[in-house]
Amino acid sequence: MPEVVIPIGPHHPALKEPVNFRIIADGEKIVRLELDLSYNHRGVEKAAEQRDFIRVLPLLERVCGICSHSHATAFAKGIEEIMQIGIPPRARYIRTIIAELERMHSHLLWLGVAAHLIGFDTLFMWTWRDREAVQDTLEEMSGNRVHYNINEIGGVRCDLTPSQVNAALARLPLLEERVNTYVDMVNSEETLLIRFRGVGRLSKEEALRYGTVGPTARASGIDYDTRKDDPYLAYSEAPWNVVTDSNGDVFGRTRVRVRELQESLKIVRFCLENLPEGPIRVPAPKNAPKGEILSRYEAPRGELAHFIRTNGTDRVERIDIRTPTLANWTSVAMCLVNRNIADIPVIVAAIDPCLSCTSRITLVDNQTQKAGVIGFDELIRRYRSRNPEEV
Amino acid sequence: MTGPLTPDRLAETMKAYGVIEQVRKNRIRITTAPDKVHDTIRTVQVMFGFDRLITISAADNGRSLELIYHLTGPHRMVVSIAVELERAQPAMPTTTDILPPAGIYERQIHDLFGIVFTGNPHMKRIMLNEDWPADEYPLRKDWKPDPDTFYGGIKGERS
Repeated sequence: MPEVVIPIGPHHPALKEPVNFRIIADGEKIVRLELDLSYNHRGVEKAAEQRDFIRVLPLLERVCGICSHSHATAFAKGIEEIMQIGIPPRARYIRTIIAELERMHSHLLWLGVAAHLIGFDTLFMWTWRDREAVQDTLEEMSGNRVHYNINEIGGVRCDLTPSQVNAALARLPLLEERVNTYVDMVNSEETLLIRFRGVGRLSKEEALRYGTVGPTARASGIDYDTRKDDPYLAYSEAPWNVVTDSNGDVFGRTRVRVRELQESLKIVRFCLENLPEGPIRVPAPKNAPKGEILSRYEAPRGELAHFIRTNGTDRVERIDIRTPTLANWTSVAMCLVNRNIADIPVIVAAIDPCLSCTSRITLVDNQTQKAGVIGFDELIRRYRSRNPEEV
Repeated sequence: MTGPLTPDRLAETMKAYGVIEQVRKNRIRITTAPDKVHDTIRTVQVMFGFDRLITISAADNGRSLELIYHLTGPHRMVVSIAVELERAQPAMPTTTDILPPAGIYERQIHDLFGIVFTGNPHMKRIMLNEDWPADEYPLRKDWKPDPDTFYGGIKGERS
């Protein structure tokens, strides 16, 4: 039978972010899948080489609109390790609180998107309503809903007052109750079971072979979690467990995420209740010594790796960002083979793809609705005209 | 394998493949030669169970281009296998045959640094847009955007 090529994306109602799939199909069955991620490159890695550490942190927050704290923390802890400075316990706890709140808002957002994709919009509205409680807490603590910018090299930017801690603690019972409801729903709600069970299955061996990370890997029974494997922040002190599941399909990935919400709530509660006293930052030197580090961090979507190389100045020589979505694409391409075309949206969504994270170096950027695009040379020209001495 | 894997045991076996450094507890860095990378990865995979590729990092140090393969395994140790490639015609045998996830990283590195991974069956562009000139590699240190070159977007519609 002749094979048909079906292009999907970069602009498509079923996709939330710009990616292009070339689906090679035989009837309704997918034979092969080719990916093009090149629609959202912004040159972050190159731009990070031109700025000092203080200005790199806000830039890296903008790698991703969901896991902004992940990127900034991975970078800050890498640089701190090269500088050999230890941050105060209070700063570690505050970073952990923000990190886990970020994981919660990301997982709640994902659950809503997945529900929406299968046409279960009630669940979508519930989770996004409950996510607002997390967002409010983040806004109270940092001043922002999305780009918290809480990190500094050497600690955190702002302290938590007792009233902020109490306000956050007061919201936890509601969230705990809602999350428990979602755990029950995911295990028993017919609509979810029918659409999630058996879809996009990855066996443990396949998940290992294709280098899957994060909830996608843990749903296939792989217990890799950077928070336990290579503990950082306050994760070795807080009580929590790595969540795994044996189903390996979209159902399993959903179960892992809702149970991770419960674990995150435990960590947030522990950190808020046991917040150490003391300073929130230590003075950091301007320059970092020559060095090289692989800074690993468990972002909501899986392991994030920042490879950082410094050269004795206040700038990085090289920062190489490997985002969890990039690591998970190989497994998506593999588990779509022999599946139905109709399963594409939910299988792709099950890894919670984040493309702005993944493709960082393209030149085209939609700035205004009207003018469309801005070229890279134009971007460079604007940058030069603002910083004539730098380039 | 007998007993738990320690950095010392790993270093003892792997020193035949290159220069060993212990960068921190549970992390070993091996600097090796391009033609030994395949064997080195195979050895840590088979003997010590490093079955998981974290990432392949690439860097330009001015003299040469570097690749660093970071692997981990059930024991949660991290081994980083580093090689230097000459700048003139950087080429490296692919590792997709022993590390399936390497394919997407190799394509990314090829786009951004111009390192050719010989033997990779899908060495197509993935990160840079289709309009990008074929012989420009933006993350190399000596790369500068040329004002007369078209790098993508819509021609003549720049604000």
